[in-house]
Amino acid sequence: MAEQLADLTVGLIGAGNIAHVHVAAWKALGARILVHSVEGAEALAEEYGLEVAPTLDEVLAQAEFVDIVTPSPTHKELTLAAIAAGKNVICEKPLTLTAADSHEVMAAAAAAGVKVYPAHVVRYFPEYKAAYDAVHEGRIGPIAVARFFRQASSPAGSDWYRDVARSGGVIMDLMVHDLDQAQWLCGPVTSVYAVQNPPTVDGVSPVNVAAHVTLTHESGAVSLCRATWGVPGTPFRTGFHLAGASGVLKHTSSADTGFIEELQEGGGDVDLLIPENALGESPYLTQLRELAIGLRGGPEPRVVGADGAAAVYLAEAARASMESGQTIDMKSFTSSGAVA
Amino acid sequence: MTLKVAIASFAHTHAASYAWLLGQMPDVEVLSADPDGAAAPDAGPRGAEFAAELGVPYVDSYDELFAWGPDAVVVTSENAGHRALVERAAAAGAHVLCEKPLATEVADGEAMLAACAAAGSILMIAYPVRFAPSYLRLRAMVEAGRLGDVFAVLGTNNGKIPYDSRQWFTDATLAGGGALVDHTVHCADLIDGLTGGASATRVYAASNRILHQDKDVAVETGGLVTVTYDNGLLATIDCSWSVPDNGPTWGGVSLEVTGTNGSVEIEPFLPHLTGTDANGEVFLGIGPNLDESLLDTFLDAVRTAGPPVAGKPPAVVPQPDGNVGLRTLRIVDAARRSALSGQPVDL
Repeated sequence: MAEQLADLTVGLIGAGNIAHVHVAAWKALGARILVHSVEGAEALAEEYGLEVAPTLDEVLAQAEFVDIVTPSPTHKELTLAAIAAGKNVICEKPLTLTAADSHEVMAAAAAAGVKVYPAHVVRYFPEYKAAYDAVHEGRIGPIAVARFFRQASSPAGSDWYRDVARSGGVIMDLMVHDLDQAQWLCGPVTSVYAVQNPPTVDGVSPVNVAAHVTLTHESGAVSLCRATWGVPGTPFRTGFHLAGASGVLKHTSSADTGFIEELQEGGGDVDLLIPENALGESPYLTQLRELAIGLRGGPEPRVVGADGAAAVYLAEAARASMESGQTIDMKSFTSSGAVA
Repeated sequence: MTLKVAIASFAHTHAASYAWLLGQMPDVEVLSADPDGAAAPDAGPRGAEFAAELGVPYVDSYDELFAWGPDAVVVTSENAGHRALVERAAAAGAHVLCEKPLATEVADGEAMLAACAAAGSILMIAYPVRFAPSYLRLRAMVEAGRLGDVFAVLGTNNGKIPYDSRQWFTDATLAGGGALVDHTVHCADLIDGLTGGASATRVYAASNRILHQDKDVAVETGGLVTVTYDNGLLATIDCSWSVPDNGPTWGGVSLEVTGTNGSVEIEPFLPHLTGTDANGEVFLGIGPNLDESLLDTFLDAVRTAGPPVAGKPPAVVPQPDGNVGLRTLRIVDAARRSALSGQPVDL
């Protein structure tokens, strides 16, 4: 493992919240990290002992591949720039904000012979991976009804998240994880029905908002993805309930972790957007190791560019469903390319 | 005052609980009839034999049951039979507790409400989860504004398929459908109680028959129902019969309510002891008997209201009433149509 990733130079583009988590993982893998960001690169570099690349061109020239952890609306252009430079890409989810953009990115990558891996980290959380393995081993038979749930303290209070043209809103930003899970666990989707309350008005997402999206899969399974941007302070929580013909599997991140904390002073001081994990290795580390090995010619990782594009495609269909009030038939749905 | 309470049919599994509880109550005389029981293809006993097991007096026909002059009638027939028995009870001058769902068709439900209104009879719907302490606490918190503005709800009512004991539950005609009909209404009722009777404006349902395929069931066994209400509220209900046959308990109900000040999740049937016995995992439920709370509320209202007076509304309207029954039936009916068409249905 260590040999496979020896002498690795990663170009980290972006220095926001998730950058800290990725830096920890790359350092654990022994990588040299060049960070480039419109803002915050120096502070991040100082905190973790990284090297700053003042320009994008410099990162693209020096790095073996890039890890894009910038705000969502910049993913497309940065990924295309890396592809144009012949560099492989790891990109935070969502891959882009529209399916049309995802397809453009994937086509460019294919033409350039470059790999693009979206960081759908939930596939690396042990509870989700255990469910995936159990389902594919036939442990609960064919899935009939699946429910996925994800809530976070709303990031839409002050930040760019509230601008749906930039974040994609609660479905593209938060639920996209579970749209990917639904597809990973239940297979390709044939129809999408979505409701959000309160609705987005004039491209501005409500701060507190919930979206419910029902998917029907080719297998006949139906799945519900629920995502909530809760009142500020809402603990990060996820869960799923998978009902199959011969059994049920369920998990809630707030239960059955084997770790209950009741601290007074200094207690409750937790990150409301990026979950802690009590089950061992950071899933972000598991993810970046697997993706890096994939980029070095190792086995194909469990999530590839097409999966990221598919999740974006579902999120865009959900938005189309909310706009029309109708069910979207995925056999005929095409991306409008409109962001919001 | 001793009340004469009739139990019309043992078709619904809940009849056993009601009969047993009524039999224990002071000042309540019980009489039961289950004339269609003998013909039912059920594994368990029906009719006179079942009445004997439950320790309640029994007559062979509904004619005898209604001739007895009951003050109140508990209707626990197959869903499709509710209308005829409720109308008959109202005509006989009795108050009515009707098992859920109100009926299999909206037109039947409307006729039942009209019949009870004309007769001055109470029509209460047997939604016992309304009486769960966790639900009452949640409702009080919502009413006090503790959750802020409530904007989203997830309800789940997952259980074992009611197949062995009562096969009509999986008969599309007698039940009105499968899991969509059996299990959507409980959560819809709980939401109705939280919103003060908000009306559904759009309903979408997706269902399938993947669960219990081995039992050759012709109705849907799994489903998801998304409801938009006239106050904007968004709710989704998982109504699936998705608790495996070998599960440690029959199933349960959950309601997760999210507002602008946070969320509350209740699972009224979750309080239990766990452990292991010779059969494996133990699930020993604890807490009050909700059917008893339901019956107490109904019978208190019957006593307070006195005998029905035709054309005059009863002095007490215990909740959940026929209007709740009808609103929740409209959701089920729209869900059935949506599941068929694949598109949402506007109400």
